[in-house]
Amino acid sequence: MTEPIYTGVDDLRRIARELLEAGDVRVIIGWEHARRGARPVFVSDPAETDKLIFDTRCVHNLVTYLNPRRDAVAEFGKIGLVVKGCDVKAVAGLLREAQLTRDDVVLIGVRCGGVLEENELPAALALTPENVAPRCYGCDNREPTLTDHLVGEPQPEPPRPVMTIDERVAVLDGQPLEERWAFWTDQFSKCVRCYACRQVCPLCICERCIVEKTQPQWIESSSHPRGNFSWNITRAVHLAGRCVDCGECERFCPVGIPLSLLNRKLQHIVRDRYEYTVSDDPENAAPIGDYRLDDQQEFIK
Amino acid sequence: MSRIGVFVCHCGENIARTVDCAKVAETLKDHPGVAVAEDYKYMCSDPGQALVKKAIEENNLTGVVIAACSPHMHEKTFRRAADQAGLNKFMCEMANIREHCSWIHEDKDEATAKAIDIGRTIIEKVKHNRPLETIKIPVTKRAMVIGGGIAGIQAALDIADGGHEVILVEKEASIGGHMSQLSETFPTLDCSQCILTPRMVEAFQHPNIKLHTWSEVEKVDGYIGNFEVTVRKKARSVDQDLCNGCGDCFGVCPSKKIPSEFEAGLGNRTAIYVPFPQAVPNQPVLDRVNCTLFKGRRKGLAKDACGKCKEACLKGAIDYDTEDTFVTEEVGAIVIATGFKLYDIGKDQPDGLKGYGEYGYGEVPDVIDGLQFERLASASGPTAGAILRPSDGKEPKTVVFVHCVGSRDPEKGMSYCSKICCMYNAKHAMLYKHKVHDGRAVAFYMDIRAAGKGYDEFSRRAIEEDHAEYIRGRVSRIFRDGDKVKVWGFDTLSGEQVVIDADMVVLATAIRPNDGVKELAQKLSVSVDADGFINEAHPKLRPVETNTAGVFVAGACQSPRDIPDAVAMASATSAKVLGLFSSDELEREPAVAIVNEQTCIGCMRCELVCPYGAIEQREVCTVDGHVCGHTAYVNPGVCQGCGTCQAVCLSKSVELQTFTDEQIFSEINALCAWE
Repeated sequence: MTEPIYTGVDDLRRIARELLEAGDVRVIIGWEHARRGARPVFVSDPAETDKLIFDTRCVHNLVTYLNPRRDAVAEFGKIGLVVKGCDVKAVAGLLREAQLTRDDVVLIGVRCGGVLEENELPAALALTPENVAPRCYGCDNREPTLTDHLVGEPQPEPPRPVMTIDERVAVLDGQPLEERWAFWTDQFSKCVRCYACRQVCPLCICERCIVEKTQPQWIESSSHPRGNFSWNITRAVHLAGRCVDCGECERFCPVGIPLSLLNRKLQHIVRDRYEYTVSDDPENAAPIGDYRLDDQQEFIK
Repeated sequence: MSRIGVFVCHCGENIARTVDCAKVAETLKDHPGVAVAEDYKYMCSDPGQALVKKAIEENNLTGVVIAACSPHMHEKTFRRAADQAGLNKFMCEMANIREHCSWIHEDKDEATAKAIDIGRTIIEKVKHNRPLETIKIPVTKRAMVIGGGIAGIQAALDIADGGHEVILVEKEASIGGHMSQLSETFPTLDCSQCILTPRMVEAFQHPNIKLHTWSEVEKVDGYIGNFEVTVRKKARSVDQDLCNGCGDCFGVCPSKKIPSEFEAGLGNRTAIYVPFPQAVPNQPVLDRVNCTLFKGRRKGLAKDACGKCKEACLKGAIDYDTEDTFVTEEVGAIVIATGFKLYDIGKDQPDGLKGYGEYGYGEVPDVIDGLQFERLASASGPTAGAILRPSDGKEPKTVVFVHCVGSRDPEKGMSYCSKICCMYNAKHAMLYKHKVHDGRAVAFYMDIRAAGKGYDEFSRRAIEEDHAEYIRGRVSRIFRDGDKVKVWGFDTLSGEQVVIDADMVVLATAIRPNDGVKELAQKLSVSVDADGFINEAHPKLRPVETNTAGVFVAGACQSPRDIPDAVAMASATSAKVLGLFSSDELEREPAVAIVNEQTCIGCMRCELVCPYGAIEQREVCTVDGHVCGHTAYVNPGVCQGCGTCQAVCLSKSVELQTFTDEQIFSEINALCAWE
């Protein structure tokens, strides 16, 4: 049984304080407790590092703040970032795509045993099959290797949710094409094109998103089923082999589109075709940029 | 506002048979932005071109669409015409209504409708064409030839004689390649070494040829006209400036039982050695794998276990502590001439091959391959030219030659024909009969392929004058039977089983590309075929070019070749190289990718996927020179315009100048918008 509050918070606060005091970083980005639950916090004063927490409500992937195009964050100077296992894969993604150098950031890893699906709670809860974030089940990065510091004790595996994402994908895959089409038509028709999924994604790093390209305009920008389909599928495909499954896009979607199903399906395809899973090793080249003599080429006729 | 001219070609009957060209012109005349539309029987003819030029001048056209054949066929022709009429030539595009339409359809109405659609897409594309300039790239007039066999030597000599410097890189200690191992050559039976060694010496002494033996290509950067090749000079342990080739060192070397590569394992060499007496350069290398001193050092002995060669060398040329060194050569063109190896047909095979365990090769000493027979027949070989079998040194009275071992056998070997075996088998039978008059030469063959000048006469001579017995059929098993080598075969012409008690068997094993060719091909961004041979750019029309501009291919690394073929190919590559070197600058079509630096985020996926290595990271500076980021940059000299970068760019920040996003979008729209 996972305790609601993870161990190592004292170490986390100490390391954060030392980093700030030594001037190694100018800001620590982590989580703090607020009225409506955990939320991201920027700590630049060593005296305030006791604000930092890590419990089952800390769902946010803070790596999104490392995007070099977030000028407001960049102005702080060198960043110390608190990361879970899933988050740190996103850092590896940014390194892989030349958006960061490893020296740009100090990574404080926290050993995580899963987070809640619903984080806006006054106090942390122990994880149960009913409340655990489904993506945490089967987590393959509970001992991150890319971090500079790693705090906390090894955690037990997160509980199995009532229905796993793989099971939900399997249910969809089992449906006839027309039903699947109807399912996604229904889901995408809800999309209001707020692009929250894109803004929160740590790996949606383009300066000018393809949806904002107007000459020519490949993707219609109005909230119309045709453009909605183009947008949602393009977003998912652009993350194929890159998505770290942090779940932020789905959590942020104001209309509740189950984007994690799309993401997971693409992960399966990438895994089956290229034997590739996203890891926190930046040298582990993504299939799009990795040429092997035994690559499948049956599509070349 | 666009004023586009549309010119519909009948191509005689080629297009007009299935497409109503007049109707196409008439319909497209009403397409928005079209100022003039005409059709003509042969648009590529002089009057046809004149019609285009006149229309450009009279109507002050901003763009031209030629609805005719494939751009491969006549794009150059019409762009030249447009240029002559004062229009930027890249404002002229081809709409392919021949290969893409008339040739592949039968129904005239439907084909006409399709031709109109094709016309509309290109009109819409041309509306977004921008005037472009050809790209000029400087040329370094030095060439590199990789591989110092006969093909490499010939290519190097031809280029050097053309007045340009050549770097010849050879991975063995001497140039000469397989040809130096051969005894006599078909179809004239002149001595291989006698014709080759003068060439080797000529290459060595040529003022324009720089030789790197015992060296391999480590890394290739750059592009046509501007390659930068790093060559690894493997540690030779012998100072080439001091060594005078006296041979004292290998006289004293205690490791004398190392199978000689040059003698195909039929003779031995020492650890410090020159591969053969006529080696060029005639300077030894030290084989560190087999050297007593280095074996000792690898074991961690405190004191060197040997040192005799160093003591013996009066010139002080031997140094055991040399290491691999690297030299960087700047060249404008590269010729690949890495040659072949024989299919080693023993039981254990890499690459998923099955081998021919039933032929006893490697187990029965008197079952040898073609190269080993060459060494037996060679006057400079281990037997001084006497045909003596390896097991007991006796003269074999019955020799069986087996054709197509591993060739033309997709099941256990290669599906291709190794091309040279029919001829060298005939030669072997002949040489054997010339030396052993009372001997019996039996050849098992599938077909005799003797296409070439004097080739068929030669193989007939082996049968008719030298009485080689040719049996059409395959051999099922070869095994040792006491003193004899038993050969079980089948004569398909008589339908009878054949059993021969042979004294020696010679297997004509398949020709395969040399080791390391795949890796070299990757370094050079050229492709290899399913069998590992270097792919030529076009099997008929560009046989010595590769898909990478400035990289050429000669000899048996492209497919099995005999000496005349390899030499002809080598001379062809040198013609290509000299052509390339004939001007100071190269002109290239601007069909290259460009990066939009405003939107590129420098994720460098394009760099990873670029098959030509044309993309690099480039720093972006603020006005005051402070580096604030990086973007991708496409080197227009290297880019081949394949568009892979365009496909993987997430933010659509890179596009081909000649196929911009907007042009492709307009083409798609044109298909959707008009009925």
